[in-house]
Amino acid sequence: MPEIRLKNITKKFGKFLAVDNLNLNINDREFVTLLGPSGCGKTTTLRMIAGLETPTEGEIWIDNKLVFSSEQGIDVSPDKRDVGFLFQNYALWPHMTVYKNIAFGLENLKWKKDKVEERVIELLQMLKIEEFSGRYPSELSGGQQQRVAIARTLATGPKVLFMDEPLSNLDAKLRMEMRTELKRLHVETDSTFVYVTHDQLEAMTLSSKICMLKEGLLQQFDPPLEVYHNPGNAFVADFVGSPNINLLEVTGNNTNLDEVLLNCKELELMYTPVSSSLTVQENQKLLLGIRPEDITIEEGGKLKGIVYSTLPSGMETIVKIDFNGIILTSVVFRGTDFQVGKEIAVNFHENRYILFDAENGKNMGQGELSAL
Amino acid sequence: MNLRNRFKSFIRKPHNIILVTMAVVLVYLTVIPLFTIIMDTFKVHSSELMRIKGSQVGDLTLYHWKQVLFNPANSGKIFYEPFMNTMGISAGTCLFAILVGGLFAWLVTRTDIRYKNLISTLFIFPYIMPSWTLAMAWLNFFKNDLVGGVPGFFTSLTGISTPDWFAYGPFPIVIVLGMHYAPFAYILIGGILRNMDANLEEAALILKANRFKIMWKVTIPIVLPAMLSTFLLVFSSAMSAFAVPAFLGTPVRYQVLTTQMFRTLNGLNPGYGYLMALIMILIGVFILAMNQKIIGKRRSYTTITGKSSNISLIRLKAIRTPLSVLLMAMILLVCILPLVSFAVESFIMEPGNYSLTNFTTQFWIGSGSPQIANGEPGIFRNSSIYTGFFNSVKLSVLVAFIAGTLGILAGYAIVKRKNSRLSTAVNNLAFFPYLMPSMAFGAIYLSMFAARRGFIPPLYGSFALLVLIGAVKYLPFASRSGVSAMHQLSNEIEEAGTIMGISWFKRMTKIIIPIQKTSFLSGYLLPFISCMRELSLFILLVTPSTRILTTMLFQYNEKGWNQYANAINLMIVGIVVLSNVIVNKVTGASVDKGIGG
Ligand SMILES: Nc1ncnc2c1ncn2[C@@H]1O[C@H](COP(=O)(O)OP(=O)(O)O)[C@@H](O)[C@H]1O
Ligand SMILES: [Mg+2]
Repeated sequence: MPEIRLKNITKKFGKFLAVDNLNLNINDREFVTLLGPSGCGKTTTLRMIAGLETPTEGEIWIDNKLVFSSEQGIDVSPDKRDVGFLFQNYALWPHMTVYKNIAFGLENLKWKKDKVEERVIELLQMLKIEEFSGRYPSELSGGQQQRVAIARTLATGPKVLFMDEPLSNLDAKLRMEMRTELKRLHVETDSTFVYVTHDQLEAMTLSSKICMLKEGLLQQFDPPLEVYHNPGNAFVADFVGSPNINLLEVTGNNTNLDEVLLNCKELELMYTPVSSSLTVQENQKLLLGIRPEDITIEEGGKLKGIVYSTLPSGMETIVKIDFNGIILTSVVFRGTDFQVGKEIAVNFHENRYILFDAENGKNMGQGELSAL
Repeated sequence: MNLRNRFKSFIRKPHNIILVTMAVVLVYLTVIPLFTIIMDTFKVHSSELMRIKGSQVGDLTLYHWKQVLFNPANSGKIFYEPFMNTMGISAGTCLFAILVGGLFAWLVTRTDIRYKNLISTLFIFPYIMPSWTLAMAWLNFFKNDLVGGVPGFFTSLTGISTPDWFAYGPFPIVIVLGMHYAPFAYILIGGILRNMDANLEEAALILKANRFKIMWKVTIPIVLPAMLSTFLLVFSSAMSAFAVPAFLGTPVRYQVLTTQMFRTLNGLNPGYGYLMALIMILIGVFILAMNQKIIGKRRSYTTITGKSSNISLIRLKAIRTPLSVLLMAMILLVCILPLVSFAVESFIMEPGNYSLTNFTTQFWIGSGSPQIANGEPGIFRNSSIYTGFFNSVKLSVLVAFIAGTLGILAGYAIVKRKNSRLSTAVNNLAFFPYLMPSMAFGAIYLSMFAARRGFIPPLYGSFALLVLIGAVKYLPFASRSGVSAMHQLSNEIEEAGTIMGISWFKRMTKIIIPIQKTSFLSGYLLPFISCMRELSLFILLVTPSTRILTTMLFQYNEKGWNQYANAINLMIVGIVVLSNVIVNKVTGASVDKGIGG
């Protein structure tokens, strides 16, 4: 049973199109991230599902209930959608103590006093903030405020939890820690999470599905590894992954049976699609996508280049290699370093190099690659 | 979405309901009066029947326009001369206010001057006190024998007779109004200086620019919008000031638009008065439009982050103590001395005689004797003064409550829907009463509500009319502080409650208002204070049963019962200053926020 369904959702601010005809099915207990550069409409989308923003067109279903329909004039108010919302700036009420912040929503539901207390204490323990219950938000650090905000959102036990870049105000170390916590919470609370971020690493590590947006348009909606290895288009390929994917501008021509000969300056590569065959026009402009980890540096490699720069970080080393003016990024998962200016040789062993149409960026297929 | 659904979702949001309601009510209470004024400039009024031969009341006529604007023989005296005087006075007042207020603001925020807290508190007193306070004090000190009666302290003490230009007319008017509005400049410019990122100045300092250059190239350009804002606000306020020019200009027949308006509205040519009011309103609207064009867009609320800038203060070194003392003395001179003079004047039997034997408590606690002031009992035994006092307080509390509450709602709704046309319209409508000259506003309400209008019963002579006009007139202060308070509150603070199912009323009373209570309280304070000391707005509307302290003061003054006038003035100043200090100390609210700081 799909838990949240968006049908042809469109949002305009005046003439400006913030979200363009978005269709999305989010299943029960999924952890979905809305990913995209800043300004692409992630927050707007989330706010529309929560009921804080009114879509211009479309339908929204939550738990098989139509909560918004522009056609039928249905617009269920946010509190009746049984959702929780975690705001980017936490939005804690500065004049209430931590305890009161969490208890306020419950008291509003006319819970008995001892029940409220029980629930608040449970949440305080769950988020490890018991000792702060008497403090005011301004007396807490960013990470502690974040936990209070989470506790407050969880208090009423919403079935769906929306989070808008909840970790962006934390420092790198805390962010790491909170990521783990959030994943644990997702399991513990047994609810659906919809999470907004512009950080691809966060999206990759946290979610069960990534919804990739660009300028209000859906680009891809798939599990993280699928998005990573089989991106729908060059934009998605470029957005996920760090270090970035190598996108090589090439011209392609069909040769032999269904192989494609790729040319980039003096470089010549032979491309063999793995699944269906691939037809290109004569000298069609293409983009060849090569993930850095799919370039293997080895002695006796077919393609020879010169080390341009290296970034060793201990766990891995990012090497930029100059092949006669074409610079490719490779990554090596060893604590080794290379000498800049030295000659080096590489091979392409994988079968997931991607060709994109240079005109519209569409993924044309995956395949093997060999240097000539 | 179709229209019906759009309407349904529009009307479900409380802020939309507030905006629509306010738009309708404010159009009725501010735009309709404007049209009434326009109509009145083309109409024959009953007192004009003699002049406009063969006409009947209500006939359309171009008489007023011709006489006021296009009659070479009369227009100069009636209109152009007072108009030029008004412009001159307003411009001079602006310059004086910005110079004095800006200098004090700069000294307090940027140098190591002493007594900063005391200066900050006392400097806004001239604004809190009724504007004529300083005018009366000026006369008490510098009156010469032009008007007859006893000369002021200065002449009594030194024997030197002050020249007319010094005692009366534009010079003292500019100084008195300038002092009255200098707090505007102090608050607005001081606010910017305090919130402005000190890094900007420090960056320049590192580049080895000298202090003067920093001031000229960095500080001044940054405070320029605040200066302009001050200029425009003060200009329109000074333009509609009535009491000060009336006190200081009348002895030398120096007329400005407001005094002309009072004469004509009260006298034989209301049509002239309405035309002058209309012109003043148009100038006000023009100023508002300019204000918005110049700074409206650029005014950024995000600068108010509460970051404490720890810029190194300029050391005044050797002149620190002398300068501090000098400033303090100036402030005390302006704030305290007038009060002392009122107190003294209210205790002396025969004006001008300051010997100890002439002192009497007659005018405070005497039971009244037939020889003095028609047997009027002393202040504390005078039932009509008690009536006036309670009316004043009741009126001010009611007006403050209504204006302040509407200001919160307006601020909430305006910010909630910001950038929409409706919200801009309501924002401007709520500010519009500020531009209405009080006297003309009063005259219009008088004629508008004399008869039953729709479901509104005739209000003439009723207390409700005073409350209504006061609430509308002071809404601008309240809505300004409401808007600035809401701008500082992120939208999510409320949405966090919305999504939990907390009702709108509870969100307002339990979340929004408690968080911004200081700012909102300021929205109550300024209307209270302004109402307590308002004269020209109510002067045409009060009746014996609804009289208030200020109109009584005016009456006593006209009758020449100087001691009562001084005593009442002292009472008004006392109430106003005391309530300001108490509210300020207890809640932290201050008039600053209503002005826009
Ligand atoms: N209330 C609004 N009025 C006008 N434009 C808006 C409003 N909210 C968002 N936008 C615009 O819509 C676009 C998408 O915004 P948003 O959803 O906040 O982006 P994201 O969260 O992905 O950074 C942005 O270009 C933003 O400027
Ligand atoms: Mg966002």
